[in-house]
Order: sequence, then C-alpha cells, then structure tokens
Amino acid sequence: MAEQHPRPTGTFPEVKWHERLNVLNVSMIIFLVAVVFSSPAMKGSGRDLDYLGNFLRFAGNFFPPDFSVTGVVLLALVETFQMAVMATFFAVILSFPLAAAGAQTVSPKWVVILARMTMNLIRTIPSLIWALIAVAVVGANSLAGVIALTFYSTGYLGKFFSDAFESVDVEVAKGLRAIGADPVQAFQHGMWPHAKPLIWSYSLWMLEYNIRSAAIVGIVGAGGIGVQLFFYQDYQMWDKFATVLIFILALVTILDFLGEWIRKKVTNRMNRGGLSE
Amino acid sequence: MLTIRRKKGERMLPSTNGSPENVSGHAGEEAPHLRIRNLGIRRGGRWLVRHLNLDVARGEFLAVVGASGAGKSSLLACLAGMLKPTEGEVRYRCTEGCQHEPENFRRRTGIIFQNFMLTGNNTVLSNVLCGRVGRYSCLRTLFGFPGSDKREAFSILNDLGLGGYLYRWAVEISGGEQQRTAIARALFQEPELFLADEPVSNLDAYLSGRVLGILRQEASLRRRTVFCVLHNPDLVERFADKALSLDPVNPESWRLRNLH
Repeated sequence: MAEQHPRPTGTFPEVKWHERLNVLNVSMIIFLVAVVFSSPAMKGSGRDLDYLGNFLRFAGNFFPPDFSVTGVVLLALVETFQMAVMATFFAVILSFPLAAAGAQTVSPKWVVILARMTMNLIRTIPSLIWALIAVAVVGANSLAGVIALTFYSTGYLGKFFSDAFESVDVEVAKGLRAIGADPVQAFQHGMWPHAKPLIWSYSLWMLEYNIRSAAIVGIVGAGGIGVQLFFYQDYQMWDKFATVLIFILALVTILDFLGEWIRKKVTNRMNRGGLSE
Repeated sequence: MLTIRRKKGERMLPSTNGSPENVSGHAGEEAPHLRIRNLGIRRGGRWLVRHLNLDVARGEFLAVVGASGAGKSSLLACLAGMLKPTEGEVRYRCTEGCQHEPENFRRRTGIIFQNFMLTGNNTVLSNVLCGRVGRYSCLRTLFGFPGSDKREAFSILNDLGLGGYLYRWAVEISGGEQQRTAIARALFQEPELFLADEPVSNLDAYLSGRVLGILRQEASLRRRTVFCVLHNPDLVERFADKALSLDPVNPESWRLRNLH
C-alpha cells in the first residue's frame, strides 16, 4: 500500500503586524483608550472636603450594634429568604424558554435577536424599579418582592442559561442528528447533560444574589428585611440598622460558602478526564 | 429483522427503475446497497475526491485508506449526510427496496466518529442508548429508554469489556474506553450501514482485532455494509473485502482493490 503524501512547502510563513489585529487585541486597545477618556468621571465636587472625617463620623453611628431587635430581624430574614427562593424558582422556569430562544446554537438568528433584546430590556430596569411597579400593582407585601425579583433575575438567568447552552459543543448534538435523532432528542442527549451543571450553578448564584436584592427591594415596601432596613434608616437608628446588616451579611456568607461548595462539586466532575487531571 | 418506524418528514425517493424489487437489471443479483455516482468533494479550496463511482453490495466490508488529508473523513461525512457533496450523488437502497438520500438514511446509518462524539457529562450507558434515538420519538425517550434496551446495551458493553463502566461518565474513562463506547453505540443501533472513522486508533492489537472481528461478523453474518477508515495495512488485509484508496495529491486517482 504505497501512500502518497503532499510535498512540503518552502519558506516559513511569517505573521504580519496587521494580522495580529484580531477582535481580542483590538477591543482590548479600545478599552484602554476608553479608560483614558473616562478620567473626568473621577472629578467629584471640586470643593475641599474632609473625606476621611466624614466617613468616620458616619460609620461611628453604627457602633455598637443594637441586638435588642434580633427577633424581629430574624423573622424578616426568613421572609426575605422565602421571597428569594420563590423568585429564583419562577425565574428558572421562565428563563428556560427565553434562554433557548436566545442561544445561537439552538434558535434561528431572528429569534435570538428578539430574545436577547427582551432580556436586555428586563435587565436594564433595576430591581428597585421592578419593585416599585410590583408594589403599585399588588400592594406593599412580600408578593410584590417575589414578582420584582422574578422579573429581574429572569433577565440575568436567561442570559446565563443561553450562554451555558452556547458553551456546549454542538458537534455532539450534530453527531446524534447524523444517526437519526430529532432536534429535541439531540438537545436532550447531546447538549443538556453538559448544560445542566452550569445551569444549576448559575441558579444557585442567582439565589444568593436574590437574597441580597430581596434586602434592597424591601426599601420600597416589597416585604422582607428591606422594610426594616428602610425604617431604621428613616429614623436614623443606625445601631439597629447595623444589626440588620450583620444578619444579612451572615446569611449571605453562609449561602455563599454553601453555593461555592456545591458548585465546585458539580462542575469538578465535568472537567475531569484528559490531561487536565 | 430490524423494523424501523418512519419518522415524520422522512422522504423516500422513487425507485429509478420502476419496480422496487429488481432494479439492477441482472436477474437474481441484488441491487447494490450503496451507489455513488460521479462524487466530488471540494473543501477548503481544493478537491479531495473527484469522479468517484462506486457500487457497494450489502454486507461488504470496505476499507478506506489513504494518507492523512486525503479526504477519508470527508467522504464518510458525505456518506453520512453530514456534508453535501460538491457534485455527484450518493444513494442508499434500504431493505424494502426504496432509494434514499443519505439525509434520509440516518437512522439506518451507524457512525463511529473519529473523535467519538460522546456526551462527556453523561454515563457510558446513556451514551450507548443514544444509538437508538432514531427509533423512538422524543416523547418516548424523554424519561429514558426502555428497560430491554438497557439490558441489550449492557451485554454489548460487556462484550467490549466495559461492563463495569456502565455508570461512569464518558469524560472519566480513558481514550480507548471512550472509543469502545462509541463502537458499542453504533453496534447497539443495529444499523444497515456502519461508517467507522478509524475505529481502532486508540485500541491495542488485541482489542483492534476484536472490534474489527465484530464488524466483520456484522458484515458477513448480518449483511450489514461496513465502511471503515483504517491505517494499518495488516488489518485491511485481514478484515476487508475491498480497499478504496484515496490520493491526497490527485483527487481523481482513487483506486478500488479486491482483497479476496
């Protein structure tokens, strides 16, 4: 079996300078130029203020924290947690169709553009504005908070999920199509196993994020610990305010560690194998 | 006998010679399983193959050989309907006698991809079960494959020495084990045609012989046609009926040799 091989070519092909101007390099240069042009944003009021003194005077109000309100705060914290859980749950459900529509590897181009615009629009509106709308519709209670956070996090999760779908190698799904799978089967068996761990880890991150947001949306009356936060702020009870912050910090930290641990467990198995081990 | 339900949207081409039974013109001789006419594949600005004419009988084991870059994988992709030929045509004849384009023959085509195309984050068992996605509707497979299929997949994996790996993820096993999983998936599919792109590249001599022996049996005993890209001349001599060699320099000078 005499196999013929192509002949080697002569000279070593050099890379020209303009061939290095790919999207990565050019956009990095543009960003650095933007940094230079954006320096006026650092100007401030121009008056000579005692920044450090101002800060110390204000921060001093927080100490020592007043723990007499612990009971009330814990109850509000539970409500905040419940709001975040419900909002994340609904957001995950709503995000799936939106994410599939927004993934270039799943949907046709015009659907992708439409879905991405919708998600951008949702994300553009801050959670506080969503909360104002929800409070106007359903009144000042935790339902308003759930609605506001659901919309807000749908904008984020939709984007994350569609990124997750896009990060999956479509070749496997194509391979399944080549042996007779229909589009749903190709997605279920070729893409979903890869996207699932990513999607779950994004969802857990969103839950953490929602707990932090749930504390904020309460400020406009949408239930949860934010109501406390707003009340103490309004009456300048900074020591009680500090207590609320401490409890929020504790809850978020615990969830952060837990989420990190689960995410690691979930994605580690995914990346095992090959030379990366 | 393998029966395959037609999925929605699958088109059958009208048989060229009218009657679906005897088309070749020679009474008693079966029409070729695969007919390639004037096939040309052009990729990346150059012709890989041109004017390829080939009739492959049902149950034939055909080895595809040639230096790397000669277009072996592209030819297989073309036969699998994953790549449109630049010119010419490929036609399959199914057991019922109808002619098909490669795109409509997919469920009857078992492919062993060069890079396996396994779902890494899925178990070996699920990957093998995926061989039969074409047989069932997406609603049937939404919550898993039938139990009988699972036992069948297990016995195929057992034959290939992967019985203990059922619930390992595909990313967690070695290259050779992944390759055997891909082979198991194709065997489990029970296709009419195997397209194997270097199916033994990661296997030792013993396993190579075993896998090609299984494919040889599929061809001889169950009359399934095998297209197999191979690099090792000894293996080609031992297992193939015919060898199609492609030339990386001159796309028109392909050669078909009878080995037995």
